[in-house]
Amino acid sequence: MAKYHPDLDLITEYAAGSLPLAQAACLSAHLNYCEQCRRTAGQLEDLGATLFDSLQGETVGDVQLNAVLARLDDVPPLSYAKVEQPLAGQTPALLQRLMKGEFADLVWKKITSTLSISYLSTGDPGYEFALYHIKAGGKIPEHTHKGSEMTLILEGGFSDADGTYHQGDFLYREPSDVHAPTALQSEDCICLAVLDAPLKFTGWKHRWMNPFLSLNAG
Amino acid sequence: MSEHTETPKNDWQTPTGRRTDEWSECLTLISQKEDRAAFTRLFRHFAPLIKAFALSGSNLSATVADELVQETMLKVWQKSGAFNPEKAAASTWVYTIARNCRTDMFRRLNKFDTPLAGDDVYPDQEAEEPFSQLQSRRSREHVREMMQELPPDQAQILAKVYMEGKSHAEAAGELDLPLGTVKSRVRLALQKLQIHMENYSYG
Repeated sequence: MAKYHPDLDLITEYAAGSLPLAQAACLSAHLNYCEQCRRTAGQLEDLGATLFDSLQGETVGDVQLNAVLARLDDVPPLSYAKVEQPLAGQTPALLQRLMKGEFADLVWKKITSTLSISYLSTGDPGYEFALYHIKAGGKIPEHTHKGSEMTLILEGGFSDADGTYHQGDFLYREPSDVHAPTALQSEDCICLAVLDAPLKFTGWKHRWMNPFLSLNAG
Repeated sequence: MSEHTETPKNDWQTPTGRRTDEWSECLTLISQKEDRAAFTRLFRHFAPLIKAFALSGSNLSATVADELVQETMLKVWQKSGAFNPEKAAASTWVYTIARNCRTDMFRRLNKFDTPLAGDDVYPDQEAEEPFSQLQSRRSREHVREMMQELPPDQAQILAKVYMEGKSHAEAAGELDLPLGTVKSRVRLALQKLQIHMENYSYG
């Protein structure tokens, strides 16, 4: 069960449909692991419905109604099979779709000896949506961001100065928060990171790489 | 149209005396019997709201707003089998379809090419736990009542965020307010509506 969650602001924007696509996809993947946030999102959707219900309706004529009635035969009601509860610990369906396969099938770009990155395409032009693979005990060099960073742990876990994070945990870092996550010693860590500006390594050993770290949005 | 003599077990009356569960019944009739009369009733109620939703604060033209009405209502018809009255209120379900159709429409208009549809980033209702009818009804009624009591500046922000689909940052820009002010107004409003999270650590 996830211990770190998106804050109420983010879930509100998500429920209202105003969160950018890449961030909404990441938050949605967290909901896969977190019943409590699913419930909160549901309440916030109820709030949206209350606002929707109290709108001053605009006139819609019979022409519109008839146009829709005429098209109903083209789209017969679908029948829905009973969906099984998602298995705890399973990679969220949305990610499986974007990955089109398993973690091992992806193209991984090696950044350091312990860190590889695989970029997935959401089509969102403002955000990079990428999987980070950190080897057990490996460290992501200390870095900061010019923008925000959303992280969701999919496998294993990591820790930084603020805490230790496990599967399903969701982190949101504001621009200029500096951190240096280290994967748990026991197993490799795979996490999803959604960025709106490239990482910026701060340590002298890795700073030279900064010019090569461009944002892979889209 | 057939009269329903059976009283659904989750039937209740609003203060105005209208049966709020009428819309759940319509959705069930559509999915089980492809009932066009039930669909027409739903349309007459929801289409004007969807159009108002499309036009509020966005720069969509009336033509595009009509398109959104058509698309949303067609989806309501097509997906009616996915509606489960034990898991959501009918109006919330219709609202979420309208919200997702609007997102798809914005993306189409902006030639934003994505493998994901608006629906894809929200979990299937079937994956949700059934909620306690009573509890959720109370919370919705509470929200409805408290909404009248919200100070105008808080109500205005909620309308911007939900009905106009603006992010907190966009709302701040349009109202010429600092982002922190927008966020705190949203939070105060949610507090009054008793929407909060327990035992939370923010990551």
